[in-house]
Amino acid sequence: MSMGETAWGIRCVWMRYFDVFRKNILYAVVVTFTEPILYLIAFGYGLGQMIGKVTLAGGYVVTYRQFIYAGIVAQAVLFQGFFDAAYGSFIRMYYQKIFKLMASTPITMSEVLWGELLWDASKATFSASVVLLIGTLSKDFSPAGALCAVPVCFVGALLFSGFGLLTSSLAQTIEQINYPQYLIIFPMFLFCGVYFPLEQLPKVAVVIAWVLPLTSLVSLVRSLTLQLPIDVKAVPILAAWLVFFIWISRRTMTRRLIK
Amino acid sequence: MVGTAPLVVADLVKHYLKPSGEKFVAVNGISFSVAPGECFGLLGPNGAGKSTTIDCITGFYPLTSGEVLVDGINIHKDPKLGRQHLGICAQDDTLDSDFDLMDQMTRYATFFRIPVKDSRERAKMLLKKFGLDDKAKELISSLSGGMRRRLQVARALMTQPKVLVLDEPTTGLDPDARRVLWDVLREERERGTAILLSTHYMDEAERLCDRIGMLHQGKLLDIASPAKLIQKYVPEPVVEEEVRPGVVWKRVANLEDVFLKLTGNRLGGVGVVR
Repeated sequence: MSMGETAWGIRCVWMRYFDVFRKNILYAVVVTFTEPILYLIAFGYGLGQMIGKVTLAGGYVVTYRQFIYAGIVAQAVLFQGFFDAAYGSFIRMYYQKIFKLMASTPITMSEVLWGELLWDASKATFSASVVLLIGTLSKDFSPAGALCAVPVCFVGALLFSGFGLLTSSLAQTIEQINYPQYLIIFPMFLFCGVYFPLEQLPKVAVVIAWVLPLTSLVSLVRSLTLQLPIDVKAVPILAAWLVFFIWISRRTMTRRLIK
Repeated sequence: MVGTAPLVVADLVKHYLKPSGEKFVAVNGISFSVAPGECFGLLGPNGAGKSTTIDCITGFYPLTSGEVLVDGINIHKDPKLGRQHLGICAQDDTLDSDFDLMDQMTRYATFFRIPVKDSRERAKMLLKKFGLDDKAKELISSLSGGMRRRLQVARALMTQPKVLVLDEPTTGLDPDARRVLWDVLREERERGTAILLSTHYMDEAERLCDRIGMLHQGKLLDIASPAKLIQKYVPEPVVEEEVRPGVVWKRVANLEDVFLKLTGNRLGGVGVVR
């Protein structure tokens, strides 16, 4: 099977999802963009006015609005990537049986899974890009830094979409997706540096937070958009989680779908 | 004939692990071929291995051993090329609920590299043939169960496949819709399409199939024409059956008698066949 044929199969799958998105554009826009925008307004303008400035590790001082905007970019990646992949793929796989439909044509199951992952990651990246654009227009982000943050967001989106697909492949019922949601996703969202600098936490909690992938994503996005020095350990941590989630989710999905 | 048949299944074996971790032999060394224009019926009770066999034939499941050739192409070695010649109507409803009927049909064709502009006319023709043309712009949620089934068969015909695999295509269809499907299958056979049909309707199998493979517990018990199977397993030309207490019907022996005899009437169901 040539690379070209595989790429064509993945493209067919991606385009199927994109066409659904386009057909339901109003719904898609509301669902994809409203949440991060609400967070931006509530925390950026609301809480941001109260808190004023934040001092980061290394002594860098930024406004709370700049601080939280960067965090909300990463949060958009986390939420859109995970939830779309977990719930969306569960519905497409078990209720709509889209995977089986596509894999009974010249498209292979491997291509279906790549297409699903890339689509979920693309959608999460669209959502994060809107926050990056707003942050740039409000002059909180450096335009060049915001642009550089887009591919980083895509990497994070692939990672969290992989986590979503892993969850969906292991869940026996749609309710079981709540387990990782409450036990992993929400703690990450609260304790990985989105809303307050990690340094506020006890040292053990900081170490644990750095093991989780969202901390690395928040750190990289914040460094790029606010033009701060990059914490280099974020790169291998993110890369390791990326490889792990893509590998394991493809494995568990294949095992679930193919006897 | 076997070497050149559009569909060749050779010594197909499929094992898999149940969720409990126990090994399960779903298909245990079955072989058959389907010639151009032939309709081959795969009959068997629930759990006999029909759908697993079909999922192996379409290349969806890997084989434990054996070989499946579609138009001479090993479907497990080259699934992309092999499936190019396959039209599949799965037992599950795999209609895409996000698209209208027309879009559904043309989109399916794009998966076979047929551009939308080239497939639109065929989609219109098939929708008309299956009595769905007035629904072309509606979502499938507006269709009845029977309409959904018809659409799924129509979609499988979009690419003019050399091998058509139909897994219980008439489940839920009313007699009128069944006849429409039977007519379409006759046309397909005249075109030279090899048809593999799995069904629980014995009258349908007797009417449509040139040969029938009786599958039971993953093994093909026999392969022959419906008439030969009836002659072989139910030698009495007339069968008496108690259909209700005190009401005995006398009727000509049919494929259902063969089915029950070969698969053991496991559930001890309706009627006492004498």
